[in-house]
Amino acid sequence: MAASVVPESDSIRRAVSLLNAMDAGRFPRLLSRLLQKLHLKAESIFSEEEEEKLQIAFSLEKQDLHLVLETISFILEQAVYHNLKPASLQQQLQNIHLDQDKAETFASAWAAAGQDMIEKFRQRVLTPQKLETIGWQLNLQMAESMQAKLKSPQAVLELGVSDEDSKNLKKVFVEFSHQELFEFYNKLETIQAQLDSLM
Amino acid sequence: FLLLLTVTVNALEGKDCKESVKLIAESTNLSEEQLAFLISGMYTLLREALRLPLSTFKQEVSSGNTWSPDKIPEDFIVDFCSIVFGNRRPASEGTALMQRSRLPSVQDLKWRVDVAISTSSLARALQPSILMMMKLSDGTAHRFEVPIAKFQELRYNVALILKEMNDLEKRSILKIQD
Repeated sequence: MAASVVPESDSIRRAVSLLNAMDAGRFPRLLSRLLQKLHLKAESIFSEEEEEKLQIAFSLEKQDLHLVLETISFILEQAVYHNLKPASLQQQLQNIHLDQDKAETFASAWAAAGQDMIEKFRQRVLTPQKLETIGWQLNLQMAESMQAKLKSPQAVLELGVSDEDSKNLKKVFVEFSHQELFEFYNKLETIQAQLDSLM
Repeated sequence: FLLLLTVTVNALEGKDCKESVKLIAESTNLSEEQLAFLISGMYTLLREALRLPLSTFKQEVSSGNTWSPDKIPEDFIVDFCSIVFGNRRPASEGTALMQRSRLPSVQDLKWRVDVAISTSSLARALQPSILMMMKLSDGTAHRFEVPIAKFQELRYNVALILKEMNDLEKRSILKIQD
């Protein structure tokens, strides 16, 4: 049995008592909302109005609401980190004295959406720029200022590169002649061979 | 005359010919204006002649119609023809190709394949990823990460373009006559 994933600190205990007091009916929706949005780095999960609505719905003060939300996020992040099965998650939650039904809600929500969340976290990278879109255009160049009656095919590759988390898609245009494109393709094939040898 | 011709051909090939022009200006007794006329005239003539590819521009046609003999002496025409059709031509054509207006092309591509074993969010990640650095001919460098799915898409698209290019080249040779 793995060591306790969620440490028993004061804030955790306080959060657990608050959680146990919370209305069990609305709890699953809160969980699923958190599960969907947790992998986004930059945005906060709930807007101001939504936080106020939650405060009223669960009759919690602002600080208590924040504590509860942070605790649930922490639990979920730990579950992702250790890749917990739903059963062990439930066990861990019961170890910190969370109510039986709340722990079961956690476990079922985790069983439903947990794997997706793990995948999304897996895809997160730390690099500054990421390739998002690929577009291309094949042209047949007929003439230009120095040469009439050509007939050389050109390809233009448009690479959409995004900064952190899909802000500002920068488009990079690269032109290739037949020969250049062939060399590019060979390089891509080399990379693919490397990837295949990894598997 | 031959000196002027050499200078013009050198200019077409993209070499710097200020020195040679100065030498010519000193050695002959033509005025600067006449010299300028001659050189620019020859340059334009040769440039237009080189513009059309070899197959359109038959030798007989050129000496017959294009260059009316009363404007240019006969032996000059012979010299012109030898330049246009001789073996200096690929050099001029090479320069013309270099000076084309193009979008930037890939000068250098460096890549690496990483496997992320563990991250701050996942104890056992094992996710491969590719990092590419492209240097373009206009001097810019782009460093970006390519997720595996996007890499496959890129590879597929490049192969598709190559196939289309091949088809196009086979077809266009038959259809579009010079």
